[in-house]
Amino acid sequence: MRPNSVKYLVGQGFRGIWYNRINSFASLCIITISLLMVGISVLLAININEMIGAIEDKNEVVVIIEDGTPDNNVTLLGEQIAANDNVFEVTFYSKEEAWESMQEGMTDEEKSLFELIDENPLPDSYKCRVSDITLLDETVAEIEQLASVESVSASTDFASILISIRNIAGILFTALTAALIVVCFVIISNTTRTSVYARRREINIMRYVGASKSFIRIPFFVEGVVIGALSSVIAYGLTWLAYINVYDTLSSDFEIWTIFGVNGLVQWTDIALVTAIAYLVAGVVISAIGTVLSTRKHLNV
Amino acid sequence: MVEFKNVSYTYPNGQHALSKVNLDIADGEFAFVVGASGAGKSTLIKLILREITATQGDIHVNGFDLGKLKPRKVPELRRTIGVVFQDFRLIPNLTVYDNVAFALRAIDAPTKYIRTRVPYVISLVGLAQKAKSYPNDLSGGEQQRVALARALVNDPQLIIADEPTGNVDPARSYEIVDLLKGINACGTTVLMVTHQHDLVRYFGGRIININTGEIVFDEVIGGADEA
Repeated sequence: MRPNSVKYLVGQGFRGIWYNRINSFASLCIITISLLMVGISVLLAININEMIGAIEDKNEVVVIIEDGTPDNNVTLLGEQIAANDNVFEVTFYSKEEAWESMQEGMTDEEKSLFELIDENPLPDSYKCRVSDITLLDETVAEIEQLASVESVSASTDFASILISIRNIAGILFTALTAALIVVCFVIISNTTRTSVYARRREINIMRYVGASKSFIRIPFFVEGVVIGALSSVIAYGLTWLAYINVYDTLSSDFEIWTIFGVNGLVQWTDIALVTAIAYLVAGVVISAIGTVLSTRKHLNV
Repeated sequence: MVEFKNVSYTYPNGQHALSKVNLDIADGEFAFVVGASGAGKSTLIKLILREITATQGDIHVNGFDLGKLKPRKVPELRRTIGVVFQDFRLIPNLTVYDNVAFALRAIDAPTKYIRTRVPYVISLVGLAQKAKSYPNDLSGGEQQRVALARALVNDPQLIIADEPTGNVDPARSYEIVDLLKGINACGTTVLMVTHQHDLVRYFGGRIININTGEIVFDEVIGGADEA
């Protein structure tokens, strides 16, 4: 195809957007909203996964050893814990270390209270870390079964909340994405239909003078892809604004993150490029497919 | 060249439009197609343009066997045919020049060729002074000349004029047919469908009369203009 023809067809596509501006705008809005909803769900999921990962990294299961357990049994217990599939790190934490670390955090006044106690009241323990936090409850139960174990403590609450959020979010996300793709296709189809109607004279003449199918269809394709790309840009801008605002609010006002041992949300700069590419690809691909399907349906050439 | 061999066409709703039509229009001929509304004239044109395919029989147009023509080759057939309609079918927001150039742009013609060919064809139909006008500023006769220029611009072997004088005032009708005759004199085959028997009687030539889907008359008659 000649460069001039390409220029002409692309120009026709842009002209179509303007001729058909109300429907083009409707398409633009719907695609933008769809991209935003899916994009925000994905960003939410990324952050939840990040938090789960952070908790996994920091999550300590503390295994308190029964007082008076012989040394060789303590060693055996250590090996048994290490043998658990879900445990990837085990460290012995002696009662002396525990005593020292406890005293480090005390004021002199508090220390004086403990001077009255001759014997170290703290137990020996193993600190271990799990690789998959979703299996934490089972792992804790397995370790509790072992001999010489006094008790096992692990904070499973926050982790389990996050995991259930992630699971529900996953189902919602899939359903939402599917529904939005259908909505986008319907709107694109409608836009193409009105665009074909607006240009019916030109199309009719093009058919009679022997224009090829692709020549007749390309302007509609250009129209769809431009709307898709524009939607991506708008969705990206809105997401960027929303994200940095939410990030700032949550990072400055709440100390909640440190309480749960999480560093906070993923930084925008880490995901900006991926988000931009994902939006652009999704916007352009959805409108391209939508336009191709609907020109086939509405444009009888 | 247009050749129909035992061609029948039945619309999907069961209406028989043409039955066993045999027709042979040689290259360089000028033929009037006449007949009452609903006689099958439009069906005949749709078949030639391959908008529809014959239910029975063979059709050859400009070297294309329409029964075997693949859909993606239809544009190639149509590039050998120029069509003029009763309602002109010009694009109102394009100038005369752009309306004619549109036909060449749509078939990916080189810009250089468009720049020389379009003014030439516009002057051929006598509208050189109006190249920058818009269709709505022109009379019916002038609009039909623009349509004719558009049909001519890619140098077709065959011109099909479907009631080209239907929306043109009677005095100007003769000019349109004169133009078609002139085009025909340069070697282009012309097939003109019309209701206006006065025109046919005046110009004479080959007359094909279709009635209820059959060709009832196909002969050459002398015209008044030759007298």
